[in-house]
Amino acid sequence: MMRKLMILAAPIAFLASPALAQTAVTGTVDINGSVAGRCMFTIPNKTISLGELSLASNGKLDASKVNGRSETLEGWCNNTAASMTVTTTQLTTATAAPTGFDNRVDYTATAVTGSVNANDTSLTAGAGSASTVGLFSGNIVVTLSSASSPNNGLMVAGAYSGNVVVTLTPTVALPD
Amino acid sequence: MKCKPGLALIVLAAFPATAIAQTTETGTVAVEGQVRPVCVLGDPNPALVNLGQLSANSGPRTGRIAVIAPRTVTLPASYCNFAGSVVSVTATALTSNDTSAPQPGFARAVNYTASASNWASGTSTATTAALRDGTVPTASGFGATQPLPKIADITLTLSSFTAPGDLILVAGNYSGTVVVTLGPAAFPNEDN
Repeated sequence: MMRKLMILAAPIAFLASPALAQTAVTGTVDINGSVAGRCMFTIPNKTISLGELSLASNGKLDASKVNGRSETLEGWCNNTAASMTVTTTQLTTATAAPTGFDNRVDYTATAVTGSVNANDTSLTAGAGSASTVGLFSGNIVVTLSSASSPNNGLMVAGAYSGNVVVTLTPTVALPD
Repeated sequence: MKCKPGLALIVLAAFPATAIAQTTETGTVAVEGQVRPVCVLGDPNPALVNLGQLSANSGPRTGRIAVIAPRTVTLPASYCNFAGSVVSVTATALTSNDTSAPQPGFARAVNYTASASNWASGTSTATTAALRDGTVPTASGFGATQPLPKIADITLTLSSFTAPGDLILVAGNYSGTVVVTLGPAAFPNEDN
């Protein structure tokens, strides 16, 4: 009886050591992302108050009140293709200008950040040429120059207002 | 039993730049200034009007005021740079430098009309009405409002010279003045 039990036990031990190879399998998680090309102004608005625009001596435009005046915006762009343009709107007042008078002051505005600048004159409509500003973060200094009135006439009394708009465009290159 | 290799590929992808709007950002520098309202009168030409002999030298009017031709004075390139201005005129009769009261039948004043033109419609006129003793010599007047900024040569005309009561004029030197004021219509007589 004892012998028979030994014979039966041997096959059981053999099956416990399988001949299968241990093949590794992998699962992969790819992670992608993107950062949009973007520009932003952190200081988007400033005001240049020019004060009295006419000369006390002859009532005509005092260009020195305009030329050289500046203000500083702050902003950034995060891609190399970013561009900057400037659009100026002339200073005007509501009262009409009869012959001999002017109610408009034209000027050039130049925006500078780092070594890049863009400008525009209010003598012509629309924005000036775009300049590639690339990645940057910091000041954008806007300076006025080349002030003039259309006829070098007497300046009409009143409050005058205009503006300089600096536009930052990320100009993302689109893939095909 | 075959054991198939397992493959689990999970892709977590953010969409690339094709879906990104190119948003522009603008910063604005407002520019403001002002031009004060001002009026300027050109220097009068001539600055002095010499009427010469005021009394008739002969004839039935000897000693009484002569016929004196009108005189004109120009104030060139006068201007106001705002709408709503007016010219006012203040005239002072010519009076003798002899300030003593004149004897009956005599006068020491010469009246006249001063009229400024070429600013607004019509004229700004003042006619003096001094008494024979030279008192109450001053008169003022102002004209219509100029509705626009304007630059022009203002013409001042002196005319209609008379003596109070057409009396005989006292001998002496006579002098008077005309003050032309150009300013806002709201205050036409602020300097009077």
